[in-house]
Amino acid sequence: MALPYLSEPAPIEQLAGSLGPNGLPYSLPLHPNLVHFTIGLFVIAIAFDVAGALYPFERRLFRFLALPVTRAGLHDVGWYNLLVCSGLSFFTVAAGFYEMLLAQPIAGVRSSIGLDAITTMLWHGVGGVFLLLLIVLMTIWRGYQRFLWRRDMGRQVQWLYLLAGLLLFGLLGLHGTLGAELAAEFGVHVTADQLLAAGQNLREALP
Amino acid sequence: MASLLPPLNDHNLPWMDTLHPIVVHFVIAMALVAFVYDLVGVVARRPALFEVGFWNLLFATGAIFVAIIFGQVEAGLASPFGGSRAILDIHTTIGWSLAGVLSLLTGWRYVLRSRDPGSLPLSFLGAGALASALILVQIVLGDKLVWIYGLHTVPVVEAIRQGQV
Repeated sequence: MALPYLSEPAPIEQLAGSLGPNGLPYSLPLHPNLVHFTIGLFVIAIAFDVAGALYPFERRLFRFLALPVTRAGLHDVGWYNLLVCSGLSFFTVAAGFYEMLLAQPIAGVRSSIGLDAITTMLWHGVGGVFLLLLIVLMTIWRGYQRFLWRRDMGRQVQWLYLLAGLLLFGLLGLHGTLGAELAAEFGVHVTADQLLAAGQNLREALP
Repeated sequence: MASLLPPLNDHNLPWMDTLHPIVVHFVIAMALVAFVYDLVGVVARRPALFEVGFWNLLFATGAIFVAIIFGQVEAGLASPFGGSRAILDIHTTIGWSLAGVLSLLTGWRYVLRSRDPGSLPLSFLGAGALASALILVQIVLGDKLVWIYGLHTVPVVEAIRQGQV
């Protein structure tokens, strides 16, 4: 039954003409590339703050390696990497939402952890915004420690902050697994998978 | 002997998901951001950023060898088809080359830093820019293997096993 107010195609259909076989107006998705920066910078930021916090135990090792190092230098890596991570992650989430709007997961698939496509996409989408919020909050927390609370201390971060960071590693890992499944199991924005789902022969469609 | 190897899943992998794309987070992000820190350090005269650049570069150099190990294993299990064969060859060649390039850069940087941690010659910045460009090319090639040819994705693995590709 056609309703008069639904006579226009869904907004997403208006883009259909300019989309390639991967469902995007360009050949390689942006979000998975921005994710390199979000995950890499966050993990290394926390790792270097851990190294800075445990500095007294490492001094002999660094001396043995003839690698001059200062505690402030290690904490600088922890601060700047997290700051850059916070800024870039807004683009990661924005690109992710754009590409999720255009996602066409292969029908009838269940992921290796037993979720269907829309459940995986919802967790990954909503979880992504939640993770961005946590990353920004961590950055603010880190800033307070660096510039106010622990400005004159050798160890620039609280143990609780490091613990929170390590817990976030787990969340990021879980979240990344959902994202990886969207590509490698549901075939979202993977040209070859979408061609196969459309019944095409890859020998001819993707030589 | 083959029976001693672990069984392969529907991604044609002995482990849950591809690991190479995860390890390369730490090469791509750290190496590219190291160059940005160096650039900002020179342009904005903030020598403290050189230290941040150095540590990120050192980490990227360590990580690339781990990325290559997993990359080789997963490339060996990828059964590339059509145009992806040539791309995988070039990706492999550039990958090993980048291990050399990043190692040389880190060694050079170690010497520069030992002499004067507060300054960075433009020649190093130029080399960093070239290495960054090479990394960008490498990202595009790796992206093509995953996002166009779908290597190690379930539908492609299935099609390969059924002899359709």
